[in-house]
Amino acid sequence: MYKLLLIFKYLRRKLAPLFAALAVTLCTAMVIIVISVMGGFLQLMRESAQRLTGQVTIGSDLSGFPHHQELVDELDQLPEVAAATAMVRAYGLINMFNRVHTIEVVGVDPKSFDDVTNYRDTLYWTNQHLLDDLERTLPPIDKMTQRQRAMYESSMQQYQRVDLRDLGMSFTPLHQPLNQPPLPGIVLGIEVSPYNRRDEQGKYHLSVSPLNTELTLTVLPLTLRGTVMEPAVRRMVVANEFKSGLYEIDANRVYVPFDLLQQMLRMDAAEEADPDTGQPTGRTLPSRASEIMLRGQDMVSLDQLNRAVTAKVEQFVGARSGMPPLWVQTWQQRHATLLGAVEKEKMLLTFLFAIISVVAVAMIGVIFYMIVLEKTRDIGVLRAIGASRGGIMSIFLGYGLVIGCLGAGLGTALAAAIVYHINEIQDFLTVYFNFTMWDPSVYYFDKVPSRLDPLETTLIAVMAVLSSLAGSLIPAYTAGRVDPVESIRYE
Amino acid sequence: MSNATDQHVLLNATGLTKTYRMGGEDLHVLQGLDIQIRRGQWLAILGSSGSGKSTLLHVLGGLDRPTQGEVVFDNQAIFSLSGARLDRYRNRHVGFVFQFYHLLPELNVVENVLIAAMAGQSIVGWSRTRVEARSRAEQLLNRLGLSHRLHHRPAKLSGGERQRVAIARALINEPDVLLADEPTGNLDATTGDQILEVLGEFHRAGQAIVMVTHDQRIAQFADQTVVLESGRLVGAK
Repeated sequence: MYKLLLIFKYLRRKLAPLFAALAVTLCTAMVIIVISVMGGFLQLMRESAQRLTGQVTIGSDLSGFPHHQELVDELDQLPEVAAATAMVRAYGLINMFNRVHTIEVVGVDPKSFDDVTNYRDTLYWTNQHLLDDLERTLPPIDKMTQRQRAMYESSMQQYQRVDLRDLGMSFTPLHQPLNQPPLPGIVLGIEVSPYNRRDEQGKYHLSVSPLNTELTLTVLPLTLRGTVMEPAVRRMVVANEFKSGLYEIDANRVYVPFDLLQQMLRMDAAEEADPDTGQPTGRTLPSRASEIMLRGQDMVSLDQLNRAVTAKVEQFVGARSGMPPLWVQTWQQRHATLLGAVEKEKMLLTFLFAIISVVAVAMIGVIFYMIVLEKTRDIGVLRAIGASRGGIMSIFLGYGLVIGCLGAGLGTALAAAIVYHINEIQDFLTVYFNFTMWDPSVYYFDKVPSRLDPLETTLIAVMAVLSSLAGSLIPAYTAGRVDPVESIRYE
Repeated sequence: MSNATDQHVLLNATGLTKTYRMGGEDLHVLQGLDIQIRRGQWLAILGSSGSGKSTLLHVLGGLDRPTQGEVVFDNQAIFSLSGARLDRYRNRHVGFVFQFYHLLPELNVVENVLIAAMAGQSIVGWSRTRVEARSRAEQLLNRLGLSHRLHHRPAKLSGGERQRVAIARALINEPDVLLADEPTGNLDATTGDQILEVLGEFHRAGQAIVMVTHDQRIAQFADQTVVLESGRLVGAK
């Protein structure tokens, strides 16, 4: 009982242990914040990666594979599969604002593509977004010129009639060039246009966006033998832009309608011609796709899905002649390099901060050792009134435990407060000190990602308590070894 | 002391030697000393500085181990007891009073007294005896004239008051013998005498006291005085 009384009294009456608790608090908070931010970053990357490629992808080379619709239908029958969609992938050139650059062109069926990847949610321009942007660029409604007002009202009317995301989904541009037959729509990655720039809030602005801009897309069709045919060129209008969350994708990919790209790449169904005479043989070559993406049912693990799909694909390919070999990859395998790098970075940072936290253990050791030296006489007195060596040791161990619990608790609370308000803190630093620790134009995510994982947080807090106990171990042992006779001999 | 009957003997120390090694030389502090403490006795051990009187007190109280010899309490040789039982002996059967009071500065008066009661109890045991111990502490402090100082910390007390708190702490577990090491050594004569009167009061109520001092005048307060010289008892006064 005297141990509890003394632990409590020493805690209340001394400043040094509060410094020890502060060290534990700061170290705990530091490690939790680092893990939460890195974990949040990793989670966003993983979500983005998964969103882009579904959970499992089946593919061949760029010349594609036939019978894709049958394969999609058969895969849809599997109990593990929730949705599947076929895609065509090619590389081409895009000419926009008189600038030409290379681009990855993906032909998708928006409906089934959305079922697999939540494509609709990645479409950047929404009606609300546009109105917000318009309001930001125009003066307040009572101060508008007549022309501005007319523009505002016509935009309002227009946006009330249509849904921009629906237009993106159906590849239908809001505006078509005048006096021309309608052009097909294209959806660009948000970083494809050279004029799109994220502001400090990570937002893009309509005034410079390529929405409704006409552009030219050129792709190179390949023969079944892999040789290049005459380039296919199409004029298209930007119907919307998408933002997946991965810079490399958003800067280098465009989506076009599946059938359109199939035609451009001559991967649609066609009559077979004799390679020697060039005469039709009367047989039809089936249309081809380059990839199939899948999303599994909610309760199905990635591994289960991968196994089921691999078995089905093997069976499917085996049953048909003329099928090229198909590969099956999970999203983790496809993005292993990128995600692996961030995972390693997270581990490295956690390790580094854990090493720094050893300083806290040493600090607790030093502070407690000083307390033991200061309390040597009291220890002697306690031994004289019947306290055991173990009892004396347990005072200091208990003291370490309390300091650890206090520090870990406060540290966790501090970390939670910072992690939950990290974006407000970042805004505050930007506004008042012009210090931007998270630049959305560099890191690509608009906000500082953070995610407080309960298991990791608990583990760190427990480690903090154990570290504190470890720090008090040597001083406690020293206290237990104090010679009572020596310690009480003098004033 | 040799004429004391066995049932009156509280502590029986025989052949006590204590040797320290200092600066490469052996320092013989106690040299084959025999002493008996009887129930209800107030024994003063008179000796000059360095004569080994504090060491003797510590050995009798089980705080320090003799190099040779044994102290027998209640038919038990205390230095052959386990560590836990020796701790219990110090807690239950002896009470120490030191020259420099040695109160714990973080605790108030009543806590300083109660800590000795707590030291011998588990949390469960303490919850059962807490009320009784507290009332005993308050009674003791009241008897020592400190009832108005219960919640003051040692820093606020005078030397005499501190020593009275130390006496209360030593007596809270109703020990068989009070071991006082120069209890007035740090006090002026008047305050010192007051402390001795207090000890006298407890002695008259049956408390056995062993007091070591270098001051013959103070030794006179005791029933009996023995002289310690160079680690040996050289005679009684």
